[in-house]
Amino acid sequence: MQSVPIRMDRKWLGPFQERVESDTGWSTWEWFQLAVEAAEAQVVPDFDTLQCLNTLTGFTPLPHQTATVRRVINEMNGRAILADEVGLGKTIEAGMILKEYLLRGLVKKALILVPSSLVLQWTRELNQKFQLPAMAHKQSWMWEQCDILVASIDTAKREPHREKVLSQTYDLLIVDEAHKLKNRRTKNWQLVNRIRKKYCLLLTATPLQNQLTELFNLVTLLKPGHFGQEAHFQNEYMAGKRMPKNEERLREEVRRVMIRNRRSDGHVPLTKRHVTTIPIALSPEERALYDGVTQFVRDRSCQEAGDLKSALSLIVLQREVCSSRDAAFLTLFKMFQRSEQDEGEISPEVTHLVNLLRAVKRQSKVERAIQLFKEIDEKVILFTEYRATQDMILRSLAAEGIPAVPYRGGFARNKKDWMMELFQKRAQVMVATEAGGEGINLQFCRHIINYDMPWNPMRVEQRIGRVHRLGQTRDVHIYNFATENTIEEHIIWLLQEKINMFEMVIGELETILEQLQMKDNLEQRLMQIVLESEDDREIRARLADIGENIRETREKILAETEHRERWIHGG
Amino acid sequence: MAADRIRRFTERFLTAHGCHFIEKSPNHLITQLSIEADKDLVHRPFYWMYVEKMGIEPQPSILTFVFDPQELDQHDRGECLNPGSPRFLTMLEAAKKRGRFVRLFEESARPVGNPLSSRPYIPWLGVNFQVSYVCDQKKDVIHCLGINLHSGEIMEDFFREMKRRRWNAKLPANRHTIQPQLRIAEGVGELERFLQTQIERQDMTWAKQALKRMRIELEQLEHFFPEGENNAEKEQRIRETIWQYHPRVEVEVINAGLFYLEAL
Repeated sequence: MQSVPIRMDRKWLGPFQERVESDTGWSTWEWFQLAVEAAEAQVVPDFDTLQCLNTLTGFTPLPHQTATVRRVINEMNGRAILADEVGLGKTIEAGMILKEYLLRGLVKKALILVPSSLVLQWTRELNQKFQLPAMAHKQSWMWEQCDILVASIDTAKREPHREKVLSQTYDLLIVDEAHKLKNRRTKNWQLVNRIRKKYCLLLTATPLQNQLTELFNLVTLLKPGHFGQEAHFQNEYMAGKRMPKNEERLREEVRRVMIRNRRSDGHVPLTKRHVTTIPIALSPEERALYDGVTQFVRDRSCQEAGDLKSALSLIVLQREVCSSRDAAFLTLFKMFQRSEQDEGEISPEVTHLVNLLRAVKRQSKVERAIQLFKEIDEKVILFTEYRATQDMILRSLAAEGIPAVPYRGGFARNKKDWMMELFQKRAQVMVATEAGGEGINLQFCRHIINYDMPWNPMRVEQRIGRVHRLGQTRDVHIYNFATENTIEEHIIWLLQEKINMFEMVIGELETILEQLQMKDNLEQRLMQIVLESEDDREIRARLADIGENIRETREKILAETEHRERWIHGG
Repeated sequence: MAADRIRRFTERFLTAHGCHFIEKSPNHLITQLSIEADKDLVHRPFYWMYVEKMGIEPQPSILTFVFDPQELDQHDRGECLNPGSPRFLTMLEAAKKRGRFVRLFEESARPVGNPLSSRPYIPWLGVNFQVSYVCDQKKDVIHCLGINLHSGEIMEDFFREMKRRRWNAKLPANRHTIQPQLRIAEGVGELERFLQTQIERQDMTWAKQALKRMRIELEQLEHFFPEGENNAEKEQRIRETIWQYHPRVEVEVINAGLFYLEAL
């Protein structure tokens, strides 16, 4: 074997000799000892014991996460696909690997490419969980100046950024949502391929969605030639676009570059969900208002036939009245203003509604909520879709002496943090209008009230995901408020009875809706159904169709996944 | 590094810097930093430039360090120090920068007999080397070596031996140093040669394995990219593979000193 090169550091000798000659600038014995101790503290005593484990504060990694970090560093040499199922903590694994390499001095400059919506979330996680000085990319100079940079892949692939990124060398490159790299002809793939990198982590929950060549393309980014040339891969391992052959061998090859932890492996002690529908009976005044609004919506939508957009805004009014008088009032007030401008006088229909609205003195829903807070007597997060409802609930809680804090998407970051802290330390209730976005983790709370239901099930999932996630140690209770004999009841029926969405694992719904091409328009389709249907029976029938469609797709996806997992894992 | 060692290190660091302690307990420290400590630990160069330019009374920071994460919320604006926390890493870097070079004279228990005579010191050069074995993985070993510049004798674990003695920064009265036979550069050369022999005696399995992994991947690249073509992509991947795996030993000097010893 050729001998290993040894590089001796001699930079110190000049300055040392200068001190000897001038006899000045000596340090003290105490500092000298401290310096040696500092060096000892940073020493990496062997090749394969993880250093990062005793630097983590505030959380303890799960066994599968630690095992993943070990394998990536010791067996996969720092180039790997992390393909855990959604919710098992790929971010944590990647963060630990980054931290480990930094502590070992093997990584100084790292780039993390993520979808733009996740840039801030990643930066915060690296800052807070791992105490790493990661920065979110904002300005052009940062490509060169920042050692740990989180940037949107869509920014990075555009000029003038692309050129800057390609002129750097990165000790570690992490790409989140790496299933967007499955096609070799895309700019994403070509960018990642051309970035100069030593170690590389590709994170995706779905390393293989359709064709086997997707997997080939992903692996080629990490280790070109791992499967040989593409033709060889096709001959050896592909019976068809989606059908593998020589599965045993393929599985072995895949395992050398990819780690996939699954829920079913029993890694994640996720607690149970208990879902309760709480029927709310409307008072006669509230019923009169709801019926009045429904009638108004019907009449108006007939008049405005053809103008779908304004017709849909009428459905919004109907949904609002299920939430609270206050939410509906705001919309009515705006209509009232508009009609005033157009015609100079208020239409008698609107006046009629305003009168019905005035007649509602007590609101059944908020009364039930307050009763429930008292019964639960623990921390509760309540979600509503409407600002006006949020304000009304907060006022009612204040009147009852129940300590509560608001939470909105529009709050500045530090206000969000402050509200979360107040909720954890002082308040019993958080009244939130938004669940999405970054950084709201409420594992210390285990009761969720859906005061009104978003018609977009992805948003319902986000709400639940705030509380029912890794780190939640107790069973989670979900209470869905359903006003009887209203459209809200139909929607809850669809979500709970037909789709069983409260039993789905996080991430499942997204896959289904994507496949059905309903991810972005389901809400609108539901509204259209309500608008177009003659009566409740028709609404139910058409919602049932959609439900059936989703259920079938879910089963199909589960079967496909099952098959795919079987050949990847042999399980 | 365990919490109690971090606690001890922190306190010694602050003491060496002349910081004032406002509160002390086994699990926390509240300290009024000295100006120098502030410059080392609180990153605010513009503030110091401003203070010095304008001749304003400087106001160094007060910091609260907590060594037990469980107790963090008992302290206002407390920060937890653990082996990976940024402030602690800053402290380590600062200590390494401040403790580079010493020249020390051993304190003697033996009184000088005759006030007109002078007793000699023997000059030793002590160098603390950090040896890193690097491929796609890494490990470090610290070697604390010393060489007698008069006789050329080399001592391992020299630093530990020196820690058992007491030291003066100035040459005491009635003492003198003998002229070394070896120049400093020669002493360093001897130590490096000694260290190299030690390194070469180590088990080199790690390097063999890294080379093997590198060769396998380079072969894969040869098969993957079409032959003969001048392929930039292939060139880049070859460079990356070598960068990732090629085994080498990197030796850094942590610090060094001239130690004038009583005859051993």
